[in-house]
Amino acid sequence: MKKQSALTAILKAKSLTLTVAAAVVILFFYIMNREFLSGNSIRSIMNAMSLSGMLAVGISILLIGGEIDLATGAEAMFGGVVCAAALAAGMPIPVAIIAAILFGAVAGLINAFFVNVLNIMSFIVTIGMSSIYTGLAYYLTNAKGINVSGAFLKLGTTALFGIIPTPFIVMAVFLVIYAFILRYTDIGRAVYMIGGNRAAARLTGVNPKRVTTIVFVNNGVIAAIGGVLLTARMHVANPGAAASGALDAIAASVLGGVSFAGGAGGMGGCFIGLLLLNAFINGLMAVNLPTYFQLVAQGALLIIALSVEYFNARGRQKRVAAEARELMKK
Amino acid sequence: MEHQLLIQGLSKSFPGVKALDDVFIKAEGGRVTALMGENGAGKSTLLKILAGDIEADEGSFSIDGQAQTYKTPLGAISAGVSVIYQERQLMPSLSVMENIFAGKLPKNRLGMIDYSRLRQDTEDIIAKFGLAIDPRASVGSLSIAYQQMVEIMKAYRRDSLVIAFDEPTASLAEAEISILFGLIERLREAGKIILYVSHRMSEIFQTTDDVIVLKDGKNAGAFMTSAVSETELIRAMVGRDIGNTYAGLDRNTELGAELLTVRDLETDKLQRVSFSMRQGEIIGFAGLVGAGRTELARAIFAADGIKGGEIIFGGEPVRFRSPKDAINAGIALCPEDRKEQGLVLSHSITKNISIPVLDKLLKARFLQTAEEEKLADEAVRKYDIRTPSVDKRVVELSGGNQQKVILGRWTNEKMNTKLLILDEPTKGIDVGTKAEIYQRICDFAKAGIGVIFISSELTEVINIADTIYVMRSGKITGKLSRGEATEESVLALAMKADG
Amino acid sequence: MNGKRFLMSKTFTLLAFLALLILAFGIATGWRFVELVNIRNILQTTSVIGLLAVGAGALMIAGYIDLSAGGVGTMCALLCAVMLSRGVPWYAGTLAAVALGIIAGLFSAFLINKLNFQPFIATLAMAQVTEGLAYLICNATPIPVKDPVLKFIGGARIFTYIPYSVLIVIIAFVIYAILMNKTKFGRSVYLIGANPEASRLAGLNPKRLTYILFANSGALASIAGILLMSRSGTANATGITKNQFSGITAAVLGGISFGGGNGGIAGAFIGLLILGSFNNAMTLLGLDAYLQTTAAGALLIAALIIDSLTARRTLSGKKPRSKAKADKEAAQ
Repeated sequence: MKKQSALTAILKAKSLTLTVAAAVVILFFYIMNREFLSGNSIRSIMNAMSLSGMLAVGISILLIGGEIDLATGAEAMFGGVVCAAALAAGMPIPVAIIAAILFGAVAGLINAFFVNVLNIMSFIVTIGMSSIYTGLAYYLTNAKGINVSGAFLKLGTTALFGIIPTPFIVMAVFLVIYAFILRYTDIGRAVYMIGGNRAAARLTGVNPKRVTTIVFVNNGVIAAIGGVLLTARMHVANPGAAASGALDAIAASVLGGVSFAGGAGGMGGCFIGLLLLNAFINGLMAVNLPTYFQLVAQGALLIIALSVEYFNARGRQKRVAAEARELMKK
Repeated sequence: MEHQLLIQGLSKSFPGVKALDDVFIKAEGGRVTALMGENGAGKSTLLKILAGDIEADEGSFSIDGQAQTYKTPLGAISAGVSVIYQERQLMPSLSVMENIFAGKLPKNRLGMIDYSRLRQDTEDIIAKFGLAIDPRASVGSLSIAYQQMVEIMKAYRRDSLVIAFDEPTASLAEAEISILFGLIERLREAGKIILYVSHRMSEIFQTTDDVIVLKDGKNAGAFMTSAVSETELIRAMVGRDIGNTYAGLDRNTELGAELLTVRDLETDKLQRVSFSMRQGEIIGFAGLVGAGRTELARAIFAADGIKGGEIIFGGEPVRFRSPKDAINAGIALCPEDRKEQGLVLSHSITKNISIPVLDKLLKARFLQTAEEEKLADEAVRKYDIRTPSVDKRVVELSGGNQQKVILGRWTNEKMNTKLLILDEPTKGIDVGTKAEIYQRICDFAKAGIGVIFISSELTEVINIADTIYVMRSGKITGKLSRGEATEESVLALAMKADG
Repeated sequence: MNGKRFLMSKTFTLLAFLALLILAFGIATGWRFVELVNIRNILQTTSVIGLLAVGAGALMIAGYIDLSAGGVGTMCALLCAVMLSRGVPWYAGTLAAVALGIIAGLFSAFLINKLNFQPFIATLAMAQVTEGLAYLICNATPIPVKDPVLKFIGGARIFTYIPYSVLIVIIAFVIYAILMNKTKFGRSVYLIGANPEASRLAGLNPKRLTYILFANSGALASIAGILLMSRSGTANATGITKNQFSGITAAVLGGISFGGGNGGIAGAFIGLLILGSFNNAMTLLGLDAYLQTTAAGALLIAALIIDSLTARRTLSGKKPRSKAKADKEAAQ
């Protein structure tokens, strides 16, 4: 087996293809509408990326570990509601944020319980949890949401150099931290192991159920923080917010090369996937397509991303099979 | 000081069969000890116990005089025992270096994984074995052979004292086999205790120092490889107590017209397989596990796609697109994996029997359940299926009765089966039922049905089939008639190395 | 215990549970719950979910799931409404809507059969696509439905008591119960749900069945959407999307488990009644409308828990395939 040269390695890298795709998308919409790269437009793309980015960090890690959380949008929204309610009750800002984080952790524990103990598939049980949080949020806020004001808003509305929104920076920091954790720590590698081959992971001393619990709790916490930032940005904790959060996050992750079969992908790809997704969806508005076309585009992008994954996997299988045949003939 | 693995009085029973019976094994460090025996002799059970996958009923084993009591795969690994199965225990999406060092990744002072050291350490190991593998390549992108090398290096990295190989060469080409032997040589030099399960005679003589033969779960001989001949080994594996169940069979004597001709059939696993058979003929396929017999059966039945070659059935070239087409043409398959592929376990006997003839049970588009039950009743009577009712779920039947349900499905009055493919029909079935099934096979032949009989039990193939084909590595390596086939001659063909 | 008796006992358990529920709700609501008018209400409001439950039930018995039924139904109903508003006769509009539903179902099946998508993610993406298309079709504004025939079907009652929509659902259940129990189609669904590979090797065609079942789910969803629109007099972009998982809940409540191969349409009907009674009682008891969303989620999870606990005890009940496989690997 020959070693890959550096050049072929770069050319083969999925992230390069993705970066090119993102660049093409951005260029296309820029040609269609010069406003697409205006300060306002870039800012709104970054704002959109900040929430879907937070959710995508958690979801990517879940997918790498072979699980999924379709309630992640609802968990973000509810985290925001918890935080806003705490603030409205006069609690200091840090306490309110910690309350939201605690909610996220509990939500993750509940999901992990259903998956680990009752062997229920994560996708269906999290659909149920999503309804529970959504209904509760509407009920608790009288369907109107909870307004927030004061210093808390700084979390969502300030921007570095007047252009990079604070939530985007927070999201970027999370991405970097998790990229580090996934790559350089035992727990990070354990997530890949349980997603790639549960039985083999067990043989290296990893406890798959424990890791599953950790990734669910982690996802709940990140989602809740995302919800806090969203609340600060929107000035309100709105029960209708982040409704398509899970789908966005899944689409970004899968576009970015996180495998639905588990065990593969990373934060770098995830970021480019996010960029691609949000540039595309914002671009649709830039070319004056109806707002609701976004929904269609999100779903379609998810289908496309998964199809690409399928064809990649098939290509790989064919190559390995062909090699095996060659060897047999020798 | 030489290391030593000592297994004493090891016994293990599964329902209906004693897989290991008071087995004694002594293997020394710095030597390669071969474990030989026919399929079902107990080798894989032994390996599973060593690997901590299953627990022995009785007996003890010790390494360097220290008794081992682990009960889990993880326990086996920490006790220094690595079993390298044909099915890899690797994480395909991770790199070679991570797979090798999984569970013990090197860290720097900050507790971070130190990739440059990981790569260096991996390269050291790779160099030690004289291989050329990129430590960063993902394991899933490697060929099977290289994946196996990774597994061996993993065992080496763990500092395992006992390394057991389960037919390591089964999926390797000649060139790769010599690399593997090089690796094993290094392990031997390092003083490891190496157990080597293989069916291939040439390898045994090439790489091993000692041979332990098992037969029916019992010790059947221990030899120094240098002091034993191939014939002696085969005799030890076959044993002397060949039963007489076959003398009383009522056989078919008249062969009909040409039924099936297979010419140069190619699939992912088969290479230019050709043979032909006539109506009423029983042809047997012998060979070792993985020789391509099941793949051949599935290709004829259109369960898997074919890449090339020709199948002529009933005088006409056919190209079936699905098992349904094959069934409609008159071909039936009893798969080797009865529970997963043969039966729908959670459904009743009746419903399992009627699947292929549902179309013929319709009246004004409704299923005629009375008629359906009649089919099932008929099968129960004909094959003497032991059950209180045809409504009983198949999962509750014994293995023999389950097999009879499948036979009942393919041979009832509504079917028009001309060719019956039986893949390991007697696997896991008690002796009495086996004899019954042998007579059934002869009855099918007498009724003009062609039977393809695949079995890993040599005695039954050579005593039932009219013609015996022997397969190895996806190819037919020999054709023998019933009179001329002996267990020795078939084994020799099944194990012989190419060229 | 033989198969029939087992099935009977399962049905019996469900019926007993339903009876207890009715009794409990009766007591809690001061018997308003069991008044004739209320029972009619329950039946009428559950009729829409009923069609979804039939489609979901058949799919789940075969080991699949369709999360897009709500979106597909809404989209198809809107197509029908738009066509009606342009003067197309009701039957043509309905046919076009059903055709669109079938196409959507076939597309999901294509993703699953040909591109190896997991059913839940294929249909989740389809749910998003169809929801978006629904908004695009109506431009996010409600479309009034004036067609007399549809309004009649949606609102009229036989003998002033039984709403036609209820009749339609009952007929659908009867037809599907017969299909599932008495025909080759139904038998194939059960066999393939329990073991697709063994079924294929015995001459059935699992992939074709997948196409049929998803097309069927799409068609039923579109009829459900039209029924809802006919009853309420307007078609809008939320449509039955808000009930998208009710069909699945009813099916699971009725003893159809994930993983396929068991349960029955009759069970799904009882599950539907349990779900309907539950929703209705929550309203009667004055539960906040929004909390009913929460209750719906809780009910789905309760059904899943029961499914999970009973699946361990029965031989036929299997764990979800993915999990079972993982556990098998772990055991090796």
